[in-house]
Order: sequence, then structure tokens, then C-alpha cells
Amino acid sequence: MPTFVLTINGRSRRVTADPEMPLLWVLRDLLRMTGTKYGCGVGVCGACTVHENNAAVRSCQIPLSKAAGKSYTTIEGLSPDGGHPCQKAWIDEDVAQCGYCQPGMIMAAAALLTQTTNPTDQQIDAVMSDLVCRCGTYQRIRRAIHLAARQGRKA
Amino acid sequence: MKLSRRAFLQTATLAGTGLAIRFHLPAAADAASPVFFEPNAYLRITPNNVVTLWVTRSEMGQGVRTSLPAVLADELEVDLARVKLEQAMPGVRFKGIRLRTSGSGSSSGTFLALRRAAASAREMLVSAAAEKWGVDRASCRAQSGSVVHLSSGRKLTYGELAERASRQSAPGDPPLKNSHDFRFVGKSLKRVDGPAIVRGQALYGIDIRVPGMLVAMVERCPFLGGKVATFNGSKALAIPGVRHVVPVKSGISTGVAVVAETTWSALKGREALSVQWEEGPNTDFDSDRFAQSLRTALTQEGYPIRRHGSADKLLATATKRLEAVYDFPFQAHAPLETMNCIADVHRDGCEVWAPSQTPETAQTDIVKMLGLPPETVKVHTTLMGGGFGRRLFVDYVHEAVEISKAVSKPIQVVWTRTDDTRHGFFHPASVNQLAAGFAADGHILAWVHKCVGSPLSMFGLPTEEEKKDLQRYAKEGSPWGAFDNPYNFRAMKVDYVSVDNPVPTGSWRAVEYPATVFARESFIDEIAHFLGKDPLQLRIDLLQPGDILDLGDQKIDRRRMIRVLEAVREKSGWSNPLARDAQNRRWGRGLAINIYHAGSYIAQVAEVSVARDLSDLRVHRIVCVVDCGLAINPAGLEGQAESGITWGLSATLHGKIDFRGGRAVQGTYGDFRVMRMNEMPVIETHILPSDARPGGFGEHPVPPVAPAVANAVCAAVGKRVRKLPITPAELSS
Repeated sequence: MPTFVLTINGRSRRVTADPEMPLLWVLRDLLRMTGTKYGCGVGVCGACTVHENNAAVRSCQIPLSKAAGKSYTTIEGLSPDGGHPCQKAWIDEDVAQCGYCQPGMIMAAAALLTQTTNPTDQQIDAVMSDLVCRCGTYQRIRRAIHLAARQGRKA
Repeated sequence: MKLSRRAFLQTATLAGTGLAIRFHLPAAADAASPVFFEPNAYLRITPNNVVTLWVTRSEMGQGVRTSLPAVLADELEVDLARVKLEQAMPGVRFKGIRLRTSGSGSSSGTFLALRRAAASAREMLVSAAAEKWGVDRASCRAQSGSVVHLSSGRKLTYGELAERASRQSAPGDPPLKNSHDFRFVGKSLKRVDGPAIVRGQALYGIDIRVPGMLVAMVERCPFLGGKVATFNGSKALAIPGVRHVVPVKSGISTGVAVVAETTWSALKGREALSVQWEEGPNTDFDSDRFAQSLRTALTQEGYPIRRHGSADKLLATATKRLEAVYDFPFQAHAPLETMNCIADVHRDGCEVWAPSQTPETAQTDIVKMLGLPPETVKVHTTLMGGGFGRRLFVDYVHEAVEISKAVSKPIQVVWTRTDDTRHGFFHPASVNQLAAGFAADGHILAWVHKCVGSPLSMFGLPTEEEKKDLQRYAKEGSPWGAFDNPYNFRAMKVDYVSVDNPVPTGSWRAVEYPATVFARESFIDEIAHFLGKDPLQLRIDLLQPGDILDLGDQKIDRRRMIRVLEAVREKSGWSNPLARDAQNRRWGRGLAINIYHAGSYIAQVAEVSVARDLSDLRVHRIVCVVDCGLAINPAGLEGQAESGITWGLSATLHGKIDFRGGRAVQGTYGDFRVMRMNEMPVIETHILPSDARPGGFGEHPVPPVAPAVANAVCAAVGKRVRKLPITPAELSS
């Protein structure tokens, strides 16, 4: 099996595995980082969202061979202490129910705020409607994104 | 710290509750080994002043790990931040205490038992302090984790009192705190697991790793009632990382497991499997044809569910009659975390990590499967990424145990999304027929409701006897929503016709209510239109005289329902009608209500708009008013309202499972659609203050959604929708 080098949360990682193995399973099974979730495996739910150069991507759709040489941030590396404005806003708005989709939601929202510091409801919908929360926390996610945007502007 | 052995168990019954609690007491409290105070199964206080609560229900997003500590902290008189949480495991300690999480009962069903347990502990701590100081216990008070002697100001922490408290006898009937003195109960609390969740540190079943663990993927027979005929695993075994290929017979569908070092190699191995299926007897099963057969069965005589007066006769002789039939499809649960389970069947027993709503069933089943003594079977309940009733079934636990035993290693069975959607315990399709007869003045003389469906068993597939035993079914108050219809009619007849089908069916959020309440509340709206009455006022009229409706185990308080209706009238602006034409669309409001097992009362008003060509329906606002008794954590209830309404909207606008050729069709969130953010209405939740006993809530907001939306559609465009989901095709049919 070939060996690949990729950067996860600022740390260089060497991985020996099937080049087709999706980044999702590299993270979860080989690097034991389970914050990135499996929801559908076909890119329709967004639970596996991570950042590639500050942009949100679906880790279930990126084979290891394509991830090699690139740098990724996962929910574990979004902030050193849970202090990212989205993480704080998610707590303040008490967003989570079961919480399973929320790492993906937070990663998608954080990427949105990097590109659009003060998103409108329509801009939020455009990005966040690609993700599924079966518990139905969407209303709070929207509020949390607006709150994080306000906090981000203050910071 | 060394803890002395708990050498004997003493069982006491708290007077008046019927609640059996065992007291774990140390045999001898010698000075060398400090003891902990563990007066019952729920809690422990150690000398270093740590208070531990065993959470006796599974956390699946309903917030039980947030609400129960508040209950304990209040009644024990300890600061909430001091309470540490452990998850209860099936076993001797929790014998007689229900661990199953179902029926919206996590908080409401535990409330009183936990209060009594905590109050009992508090009284024993007070006795211990009084004994130590040699004072009257009436001069001592428990507060913030200490007992204080009021006149002298002396104070001992619970930790300091733990050992002495463990030697006190338990009070038979400990006094409970007045609800007006609660410090935590009734206040909005943020989710305990929130910080871990937002950092990706919360561990769900699928995130657990045990040393030496392999991952198993199962190729299951896609045909209802089919099975594996033959299989060849040689190509799968050639995939790097694949270690074993073994048959699996204990799940919902038989199949072949590929056991590998990683999830990816298990998936690749599964793709390489060669399996021939014995397709079985149901390859002609088709859900559209089944829906027709449900309608055909309407002509059959039903089993009596609830009857009074001469409904048939009054209907036949009524001046005016109204009749309608409503269809509800098969539904999947589709929790975001797919089914999964770790099993480690080893020489000395079996250890399991299961995201399960019913760990006790898991344990009992494993004991039976493996022929092991119960004490050697450990079942850990993990956090779960949604339950919704699907995880009341332990088929995936069976699979994990069978595979682990076959390969003699710890394994984690992981289901793909498609596995999860197609191999569930589906909500059964049903048909509800309603008829009403009216006097010349519009007074309703008779209400006749015939339900046609497949009786549910909540906690496993019904046996053949259970399917036929409609007496049991009716006795249990089923079908919910038809049996416990709160309205007051002169004559009433509710019947049930059972039609068998080969689909495994089970409880889905709100169980039977969604289908029956869709029919009942739509029909009430149809009656209002028919009579030219206001649908809200008609409901209030039909709940007169605001009395208690006595249905045996359930006592429905119609006054509470009327109060909720009056509140929703105000909160929704019901009396100020929407402009029917705006933004080139038609607008309308619809109302529906329900009562969850006589304990919780709810009304919802939906505001929708429909494109003029009927090509598009949007739900803009849902106003939800509830009286569910004392709200233990109002913030949690509000979240559950949003959650249940979103669940209801998914079913109203999108959700259904089709069967073609004996196979489930939909597989992912691509074709089994659920609500997305851009479709969401604004949800406004109003919780009415109440001192009544806490009622269930997790399922409660689901049933009124579909009829409220359908009634709003009718108000907007005059089109009566009697079949779910309300797709554009259905709307323009």
C-alpha cells in the first residue's frame, strides 16, 4: 500500500492506505479523530464537512490520493479551546439536540463566515441547506450563525 | 481511594409509591476504609464530596442528561455544577428501574422516582448531621451540598457526612420540596453535552473504539422475508484489510458480514461479495397496491376500539352527512447516526457498546443468544445520533454479537445510510375513514372513525398472536389519537381493521398519533368548513363542557385543551385573518391540536402560501402552544418543539418509503427527503405555566403538524389534501 502525507490541523501525518479511501475514514479509522461524522457517504448530508484551505469540503468525497499534500482542518482543530465564534454561538443558542450533525454544521458555518462576514438569511440558506439535521435544529443554527457573525465583527 | 465492598443489599419500598429501591450499605464501616453513601440506585456521594447521578434513560437528543441532574440537585439540595453523570447499565443495581427510553417518558417518567430517591438521601444526610452534633434534626437544614445547624451555624458537607449517612435508615416517605422552591427545575438550562459536541468530542456509538476492534459491514437480503441462499467470500477476502467473511442470521434481514481492519476495507470487501438471495414470498409486495388494499379493507367490520351511543343509526338517519378517507404512507426514521454496535464476545462473557434506547432488551437478548449468566453481559449505552423509536429495536446488537462470536474478536458493525433506510422498522402505512352525521341545525349527532392498518408492537416485531389480538391492542388505548379523541360527541364509534403486511414495522416518533391525528384534525376542519364555523371555535365547542373525559387509564382534562386553544388564538393572531392574496401567492392558516396520553396538550397554527398554479407550497410560520404540566427544562422543551415540528414537516412535505417488488426503494437523504434549512418556517413556541405533573413531550409536537399544514392549504386554495406527503403532484391532483 502506498504512503501519503497530508496535513491535519497543522500537523503533518503519514498514512499508508488504499489511495481510494475517503478522507472521512482516514480521519476516523486511521487517525482516530472521530469528531468528523459519517452520515451518508455520498455527499448529501454534510456531517463529514472539514476545511481545505478555509473552504468547506465533504471528507467522504475526497479520496486519500487527492488529499495528499493538502492541508485540512477538522472540528478538533477549529480552535484550540472551543473558542471559535461559531462554537461559542452554538453554546449560547443551545443549538444541539443529539448533536451528531453539529460538527459538520459548525465547519460549514465557519467557512461561510470566513467568506461572508455578515451573511444574510438567503446566504445562510444557500450554504446550510446542503446539510441535514434530523433533529430539526435549523432555526437555532441560523440564530447561532448571525450571533457568531456579530461576535466575529466585534473581535 | 479504596472503597469498602458493598456486602449486602437491602430492599425497601418507599411508602405510597410502589417504587422499590435497594439500599447499598457497607457491611462494616471500619475507619481504615472510607465508605461512600449510596442510598439507592440513582446516586452516590463520596467522602471527597462528589455527587454522582446515574442517568437511567438514554440520551438521544431529548436532553435527559440535562434535565435529570436538575431534578436531583433540587431535591438533594446540592449545586447543579457538582453533579457528575454516569450512564446506567442493565444489571442488578437497576433491577426494577426502567432504562428503556420510549413514550416521551425520559424526564416525565423519571421525575417523581428521582425526586423521592434524592429526598430520601437528603433526609438521611440531615439525620447523620443531627446525630453527629447530638441535636434535634428539625434544627438542621440541607442546603447547597451541606447540612447546617441553624442556631449554631455549624456546617458539614455531604462528603463529610457520607459515611455516617450510609448508616441511617431510609425514611419511608421523604418530604418533597414544594415546587415553588425549585432552584433548577423549571429554569432553562443549556445542554450538558453542548461543549463536547461543538468540539467534536462527544462520543456516539459509532465513535467508540476498543482495542483490537475490527469493523463489520453486512450485505443484507434486500427482499422482505428473503434470505441468503449461497455466498462466496473469496473475492472479498482478497481485498486488503479484509479478515473474515461470515454469515449473519440474527438481524432484521439475514446477510453476509465482511469483517475488516477499517470501515473502508469492509465496504470494499462487501462490494466484492457474491451473494445469491432466496427472494422469499413477498417479491410482489408493492406499497401502492398495499395502500389500495387498505382502502378495500374499509368495507370490513372493524374491531370495537371505543363506542358510545347508537352512532351507526344516527349516522344513517342524519339530515346531513360528511365522509372522508385519509392516507398515510410508510416512513423511515433516518437518524443521522446510522445503526452501529460494538460487541466483544470473549471467554468470560460479552461486553457491548450500543447506541440503544433499550439496553435492558439488548442484555436480555444477548443472555439468551449466548447462554451466558446475566452478570457476565455488560451493555454500555452510548450517546446516540438520534433515536426516534428506531433504536427501540436491537437487531443491530444481535448482529454485532453474532459476528463477534463468529470471529472471536471485538467488532463494530456499521450500517451505511442505505442499509439504515432500507432495513428499518418502518412506520406502517394506514388509512383512516371518518364520517359525521349532523342534525338539521348543524349539531354533530355521530362520529364514526374506522382505522385500517397494521397493529404496532412498540418493542419488537409483533408475534402472529399479537397481530390478531386486537383486544389487547384496544385495551392499551390504541390506536392513539383515535381512541383518545378528546371531543364530545353524542354518539361515537371507533373501530380498527387489521391488514397484515410483510414490512417490519415499529414505533416512529409519536407512534400512531401522526396518522390518526392527521385524519381527525383534518376532518374537524372539514366539518368546520361544511358548517361554516370557525375551526378554532368549533374545537372549543366540541370540548364543552370542559370536563374530565374518563377513558380508564387516561383522564383527559378538556379545560386544559381549551386553555391552550385560547392561547393559540391570541399568539397566532387567529382573529386577524391573513391577506389571502399577496406576493402572487395564496395564503392561509390552519389549526390542529392533540393530547398526548392525557398528560400534554398542544395546539399549532400553520401559515402557508401556495403558488397560484399549485406548483409550490411553503410553510412560513408555525405557532405552537403547549401545556405539558410542569416544564422541567423549558429551554429543552422549546428545542423539542422545534424538533418535533421539523420532524412533522418532513413527513408532511416529503417523507415516504415505497416498496416495489418486495424491496424498499429509497436509500439516502437524496430520495428520502427530510426538511432542509431553506424550507424551514419560523417556529414560535409558547409554554403555558402549569403545576400539573410533567407530561411527555418528545413526540408531542409531531402529530398536529400535518393537519395544521393541510388545513392551511385548504384555507389558502380551497384544495383539501387527504394524502401525505403533500407533494406538488398531490397538490395539483
